[in-house]
Amino acid sequence: MSKTTQAPKALRGVGNFIDDRFHLAKTGEKNLRKVFPNHWSFMLGEIALYSFIILLVTGVFLTLWFKPSMAEIVYDGSYERLQGVEMSEAYASTLYIDFDVRGGFLVRQIHHWAALIFVASLVVHMLRVFFTGAFRKPREINWLIGVGIFTIAIVEGLFGYSLPDDLPSGMGVRILQGVIMALPLVGTYISMFLFGGEFPGDVIITRLYMLHILLLPALLLALIVAHFMILWHQKHTQYPGTGKTNKTVVGTPMFPGFAVKAGGFFFFTFAVSAGLAGFVQVNPIHLFGPFTPTSITSGLQPDWYMGFLEGSLRIFPNTFDLSPFGYAIPTAVLVPGLGVMGLLFGGLAVWPFLEAWITGDRRAHNVADRPRNAPVRTALGVAGVTAYGVMWLAGSNDILSETFSIDLYLTTYIFRASIIVGPIIAFIVTKRICLGLQRRDRDTLEHGYESGVIQQLPSGEFIEVHKESSQDTVDALLSKPTITSTVLEEEVDDKGVESPHKRKPMGRLRRALAHWYTKDNVSFEGVEPHSGHHLHHSAEEKESAVH
Amino acid sequence: MKWITARRRHPLAGYVVVILALALFGVGYAALAPTTDQAQAQTLAADAPSPEDVDVAEGRKIFDQTCATCHNYDGSGMRTEDGRVIGPDLREVGPAAVDFQVSTGRMPSANPDAQMPRKPMAMSEEDLVNLIAYYNAEIREGRSGADIPYDVPDTAPQRDEFSVNRADFDSEEEYHEAVEEAEAEYEAALEEYEAEYEAYIAGAEDTEMGMKLYLTNCAHCHSWSGGGGALTDGRWAPEIRDASPREIYEAMVSGPGAMPMFADTVIEPDEKQELISYVKTLQDEPNAGGVFDLARVGQVAEGFISWTIGLALIIACAIWITAKQRAHD
Repeated sequence: MSKTTQAPKALRGVGNFIDDRFHLAKTGEKNLRKVFPNHWSFMLGEIALYSFIILLVTGVFLTLWFKPSMAEIVYDGSYERLQGVEMSEAYASTLYIDFDVRGGFLVRQIHHWAALIFVASLVVHMLRVFFTGAFRKPREINWLIGVGIFTIAIVEGLFGYSLPDDLPSGMGVRILQGVIMALPLVGTYISMFLFGGEFPGDVIITRLYMLHILLLPALLLALIVAHFMILWHQKHTQYPGTGKTNKTVVGTPMFPGFAVKAGGFFFFTFAVSAGLAGFVQVNPIHLFGPFTPTSITSGLQPDWYMGFLEGSLRIFPNTFDLSPFGYAIPTAVLVPGLGVMGLLFGGLAVWPFLEAWITGDRRAHNVADRPRNAPVRTALGVAGVTAYGVMWLAGSNDILSETFSIDLYLTTYIFRASIIVGPIIAFIVTKRICLGLQRRDRDTLEHGYESGVIQQLPSGEFIEVHKESSQDTVDALLSKPTITSTVLEEEVDDKGVESPHKRKPMGRLRRALAHWYTKDNVSFEGVEPHSGHHLHHSAEEKESAVH
Repeated sequence: MKWITARRRHPLAGYVVVILALALFGVGYAALAPTTDQAQAQTLAADAPSPEDVDVAEGRKIFDQTCATCHNYDGSGMRTEDGRVIGPDLREVGPAAVDFQVSTGRMPSANPDAQMPRKPMAMSEEDLVNLIAYYNAEIREGRSGADIPYDVPDTAPQRDEFSVNRADFDSEEEYHEAVEEAEAEYEAALEEYEAEYEAYIAGAEDTEMGMKLYLTNCAHCHSWSGGGGALTDGRWAPEIRDASPREIYEAMVSGPGAMPMFADTVIEPDEKQELISYVKTLQDEPNAGGVFDLARVGQVAEGFISWTIGLALIIACAIWITAKQRAHD
């Protein structure tokens, strides 16, 4: 590197001024040197952060003109097609943003695309954390905060979708009201309270607006800050490799290397949102027309992140609806509407603790798992993704039916079957793939990697020359942990007495789960790197190496 | 290539790149920008054909050849022995239904058990006129069913309807004259049609009425955009963007397939005009944001794009900026 040079005088002056008053130099230096690992999958959460910033900026712009009022007015703005149409002020002011505010249409489209990308990036970020086991101690709390952000983001999106008071937003609110009404006992009261009377009433937009621009963003912001501060304190996890242990972090320092990358990345995220907004139509509220309670249209869905709930509502049969003593309990709405949501977020929140309970693992983990090295967790994750995907697809069953000319009823039966069969197949297949990859890893470790060079031996046999893997690869492969559970080890104590927990139902369940979680593992025991016969293969040796 | 490589660090290179990029975007935008008036090829509104122009005998021939197999020679329909309908009774459906089914190419149908998609018409306009004349004269019971709304514009005149045949002329010169004449006739017919179409669409003034009628009665099957949608039992509501105003009108008064009938007493003719005008005006509306309208499919397509284009591009960028040379693999 170049020799140290002094900062320009002006800069030094400002720096000294600040440092004399706030003593920031030390903290600043420490934090500026914070190390960020170099792997693209650690940037996924940043996409979420950046799209959130874009949402805040564009959202503020939109609030300058939006009127959250359901007062009926007759439109006489510059959008000719709807002149003379009676609509709410909310819808009229959204049209005003689109057609009378310079750049308003673009900003509205950026806001919408950024929202879609925001939630999508939350999902991929969360999947990365899940599959690499980065939620384990000491990061469980941050995982919980993440689940909270994900939940609030979905609700926030739903409310934003509802604000313009156009045709789809009204229909979305109607479904929301339907799900609320399905709650036993309190449902009707909550609905009356929320809507200030019967649907649609004249206050819901105002209330959703307050939630959308004030309460929920504030909560999101607070959680994101907390998420970030905890991350800063705990530092990133890192993938296994040379010099990467539970005690050290390897990567690029925050300043200048990472700051430049991250800054550039922000602008790239903004560019993609703006590019989509400029070229691809999203939620054209001026084409939909205003919402009236009598209007309804086919082919309309919620934004993608609500799609899985829409799907579960569509495929859940109504044969389990109960009406004890003439009081209706619509399980066909309750279970898929609220049950599935509870299952998803509840499951996500509970998993780190459940896994720790199964494995009895109390150690702190700063080195991430390679997904293949935790086959049951990975398989469970893929099964969950499959179930989510099936529900998500089912949410668009009418579009699929029309686009691909499949009988609508048939799609329902297909989805009903695949929501049960799909995750099971996904689990089995994924676990097998993981174990297969483990075997391949062992092979690579022993024999090096396939060089692609074919060699003919004097005997006439052709072999592929294997070469030694790099030290980094060897270290990464060698770091494979053996999945164990302390539960299975506690057979007897030192006096030869069986643990009393073993006989209790919970203890037995725990042991059964631990067995299921740990039973399949490709052992690397006794494997010496490059001990295989990679340079002088012969027919017999090869056979013995294969098995 | 060498020429560019040698000059890429020239002090002016940056400006050249910026100018080229601006030119590219400027020209590109001009090429891609939506134009407001995309000419619609639609059709001629005609008065009811006068009796001397139609040939009922010819109409009978067409009916017996193409319709009677399923609908029977007297139009009374046919059933199998176990009562399943092969072809429904036509005597009370009215000429509007006949015109709708034939002009949208749904009849004659190749498979009576399946819902027919929209297709090019199987016969000529002239044949259809004769067929309807025969239907009115012989099959229709009294004045049952709806009449064809002749004052509503149909599809635009097609150039090939005005073609001339070389064999009919002795000299090349006469032929050329006839071709020019036919072309002029076609232009005139198209102009007349367009004027009529415009007048019909512009004749509707109450957008709100059209919108409310459409969103209350039609959109739950045909969707807000007229793009159609899935129905129960393997049926679907077809997209109505290709339909002419007259076809939409006829569909409303005859109720084809699973569609309910909206007689003129329920939705009056001028309300129908408002409704049709709403549909057609919405259809001609330019799309926001430019090139990609996602076929107005809406949220499913948007979600798909946000993942496959939006997030995928951003992740590709993440991979790019964190990439480093690895030791081997």
